[in-house]
Amino acid sequence: MNICQPLSRVVVLGSDVDLWLSVNAISRALGPAGVTVIAIELPTRLKPSDISATLPPLEAFHAKLGIKESSLIRATAGSFSFGQNFIAGSRAGRNPAFFHAWGAYGAPIDGSAFFPCWLKAARYGLKVSFQDFCLTAVAATNGRMLLPDEATTAFGRTDYGYHLQTMAYAGYLKSTAATLGVKIYQAQKGLVERDDSGSIAALILDGSLRIEGQLFVDATGPEAILIGQSLDVPSDCWRQYFSVDRVLSARAPAFTKTPPFAEIRITGGGWTALHPTPATTGVLHAYSSDCLSDEAALRSASAAANAQLADVSFHAVNTCVRSRVWDGNCVAVGGAACVLDPIHDVDSHALQLGLVHLLSVFPVTGQFAVERAEYNRVMRRSYERIRDFQCAFYALAPFDGNFWQQARGQAVPPALSHKIDTFRARGQIAPMEDETFLPDSWQAIFTGLGVTPESWPPTIDRIPPNRFKEEFHRTLEFIKGKVLEQPTHDGYLDTLGRSSAA
Amino acid sequence: MGEAIRGDNGPAPFRVVIVGGGTAGWMSAAAIRRQLDPKDYSVTLIESDEIGTVGVGEATLPHIKIFNDMLGIDEAHFMRETRATFKLGIQFRDWDQPGDCYIHPFGAFGEPWGGVEFQHHWLKAQREGRSKFPLEDYSYSVVAARNNAFEFPNEDSKSIRSTYSYAYHFDAGLYAAYLRSWAVQRGVRRIEGQVCDVSRHPTTGDVVDLTLKSGEHVAGDLFIDCSGFRSLLLGKVMGVAWQDWTHWLPCNRALAVPCQRVGALTPYTRSTARSAGWIWRIPLQHRTGNGYIYSGQFIDDGEACDTLLAGLDGAAQGEPRLLRFSPGRREQAWRGNCVAIGLASGFLEPLESTSIYLIQAAVTDLIALMPRPRSAGVDPRLVNEFNRLNDMQYERIRDFLILHYTANRRVGEPLWDYARSMPLPDSLVHKLQLFRSRAALPSHQYGLFARDSWLAVFVGQGIAATGYDRLADAFPLSTLDERLSEFRTRIQTNVDAMPSHDAFIANYAPAMEITNAEAAVA
Repeated sequence: MNICQPLSRVVVLGSDVDLWLSVNAISRALGPAGVTVIAIELPTRLKPSDISATLPPLEAFHAKLGIKESSLIRATAGSFSFGQNFIAGSRAGRNPAFFHAWGAYGAPIDGSAFFPCWLKAARYGLKVSFQDFCLTAVAATNGRMLLPDEATTAFGRTDYGYHLQTMAYAGYLKSTAATLGVKIYQAQKGLVERDDSGSIAALILDGSLRIEGQLFVDATGPEAILIGQSLDVPSDCWRQYFSVDRVLSARAPAFTKTPPFAEIRITGGGWTALHPTPATTGVLHAYSSDCLSDEAALRSASAAANAQLADVSFHAVNTCVRSRVWDGNCVAVGGAACVLDPIHDVDSHALQLGLVHLLSVFPVTGQFAVERAEYNRVMRRSYERIRDFQCAFYALAPFDGNFWQQARGQAVPPALSHKIDTFRARGQIAPMEDETFLPDSWQAIFTGLGVTPESWPPTIDRIPPNRFKEEFHRTLEFIKGKVLEQPTHDGYLDTLGRSSAA
Repeated sequence: MGEAIRGDNGPAPFRVVIVGGGTAGWMSAAAIRRQLDPKDYSVTLIESDEIGTVGVGEATLPHIKIFNDMLGIDEAHFMRETRATFKLGIQFRDWDQPGDCYIHPFGAFGEPWGGVEFQHHWLKAQREGRSKFPLEDYSYSVVAARNNAFEFPNEDSKSIRSTYSYAYHFDAGLYAAYLRSWAVQRGVRRIEGQVCDVSRHPTTGDVVDLTLKSGEHVAGDLFIDCSGFRSLLLGKVMGVAWQDWTHWLPCNRALAVPCQRVGALTPYTRSTARSAGWIWRIPLQHRTGNGYIYSGQFIDDGEACDTLLAGLDGAAQGEPRLLRFSPGRREQAWRGNCVAIGLASGFLEPLESTSIYLIQAAVTDLIALMPRPRSAGVDPRLVNEFNRLNDMQYERIRDFLILHYTANRRVGEPLWDYARSMPLPDSLVHKLQLFRSRAALPSHQYGLFARDSWLAVFVGQGIAATGYDRLADAFPLSTLDERLSEFRTRIQTNVDAMPSHDAFIANYAPAMEITNAEAAVA
């Protein structure tokens, strides 16, 4: 190929959501610019119990791909998620629950950020919790949707993610890819043929069919068939930061009323996440094999879910990041690029970030060393910021049990140490580039885990205490009124014409 | 929660002592006085009329308006008092090569279409031979600046007239005096005097009190060093090392002279490249500020002085004043209980009018991270965050300044030959490569400069992008033609309806003595 010619042929190898979201994104954005996308689908790794819990930015990304929310929710028997409810179980009973919402907490008072105002008031005896000032959290914990209007927009951000049945979601993305005219091959196996420069020239499918390309996207998940197994790009291990090395996944019966949030139930040996959908509840139990056997994990997860679990499976989690997520002419996205801890449901977002950045530096021609270097820099930083947010949860978790003791003893990355120090000292979230999680999220997690800043910015001391009282009162009344106007989650799903067949 | 929140008759306030007046000192004093409760914090500023201020920052960035608004300053009043004019950007003459000229505006170039930034569309149109118009024709603020026109931006975000912001040119000495009177009226204690001795805590090393020439002692809890290049507290007392950036920014001297105002008021700062540096021209209502910033290695002071005087557009008012400086910064701006703000913390030449911005950013961060009243000592965790933010500000501006020097085609002039070949910070190398390869612009959320600023300077300094974003190819050429043509016409039509900068100022904020002089003539 002539490296000065426009790069026009992209081959994506992989399976499931990693494959199909990549194919949709690249084809949709660059098809009209003359880029041909070829999808090679490997056998699925999904189980019927898998639920994709996603972060708020996916909605806008879907919109760019032309995916209609109502049709997606119907097709995947999906539901909405306004955040994560953390519950400390009986064994760790002293810790109250907290809600990490995908929305704004409070509204500025006389031009000052809400958080320090709340912090100061709490120091002087205010009993209302931080999350009670979050419209999104209050609506969610009351089983309501939060449909934004002018008043809520003026109040602050109210976002949501989804809980989607992963098999149906992957199938949905595959069908939209087909409508984009993407050429799809199925294979059991893809072998790499390299050219003299060491770049990938083609993939040989099942020992026969040869698929040439100029750029290859590895969407094969943690197996990393191209970037890892074929190109031998090593991974940088992140195990020193995390205790979780094993995950149980299963399903439990659906709730009678579908909660519009994920619930994380803390146990002594790890945590259990429930991802409700109208048809079924996805269950994840994350633990450390040092502390818990698989059998004990199953007992623990069943007890935490308080249900009979079905379709139980176990897999290892080896938290790590590829040292170069783009090597030669191979770009790894999703699990092939980075294996993140299961806390906070970040996988689909990490995949989305990889694709958004790939489109933003998509090679003009076959000469793309500059783009590759930039991509590697930006993605590394982006993954590290997500990792730090996850790491904060474990480093600060006040829960009882072997697992938590071990988790608290893990290494803390320097940027996170700085962030925690700044928060402890002043209640400020040290601003950093390429963050996935907004200050509201950091404050919710820090506060929820019981970290209390030792001071607040002195600027708020100029605001008279009765202004706080007035604004707190007004905000709580506003939230109460707004929540009562909202449809219930199930009611709203019905208006979307949810499928009962799923 | 009432009385518990603050004991109204509580202990003595936390004592903030500022050493040095000038822009840095008085901006710090005013901001602290405005934002912190006087019951909790006292502010004392020590300055000496015998020590001159540098006042290089006569041209500003749009952020200054946020600062003034925070103080509650009336814009027209402040402009009259400081002889201010409006600024839509900076004109760079002869920078890429002699004869070239471009404007770095405080505003957007075009608008994104189909989710793709404007420069890609513009480059594509050029490549396809569809448009021959320069990028600047698609910037409302550049076209307005070229026309010497001014009016306030429109608040309707759909209007083309909302696509820019503005700053000011003012007399920095008058601005400091303006803030001084503002601050003193609101309780800042001003002491006329010079610091001659500093006593420190025997174990912590913190500054405890200052002895003035008069024999007076001024004790404090936190000391803000606004002593300018002397860096009296941070450099001399705390011994924080200097990080020198001369290898990237070779200019180390300046000659400054005001001249008589001639002709129409330009709504922009002018920077003209010369053989050993560059000459600034800052239009004020009553005079024009000028200065030659140069490297003493490439020209002697006499020749620099001749060059400066020969280029003035009005009669010089007095002899040029010589300033010596080094580009760079202190390794920490805050150590112990001493924080340096302004030139005492670092110096970046005023090529992009960042001096006052850096003061504003530092004082804003300082206030947020200020020790609590009655806290024992300074929390090192707050100091670390302040220094981290300060470093980020300096390094980002530094890279942007270096770009102006290194991207030049002034072959045969030793300073410019050096600048083209000097080793660059990695952070700038990436940015240059990305623009060359695909017209990508640096994107960061914090600090200066925004994407359109980088675009203006990349293109202005003649850096050619060989490619553009592939997503632009998804946009049909015929639509592109129409959009480009419509956008350019819309700018021109709107700019044609703007008042001149002179007329706008005469109506909005004429300086008193000028009004009087005009009345006398009439």
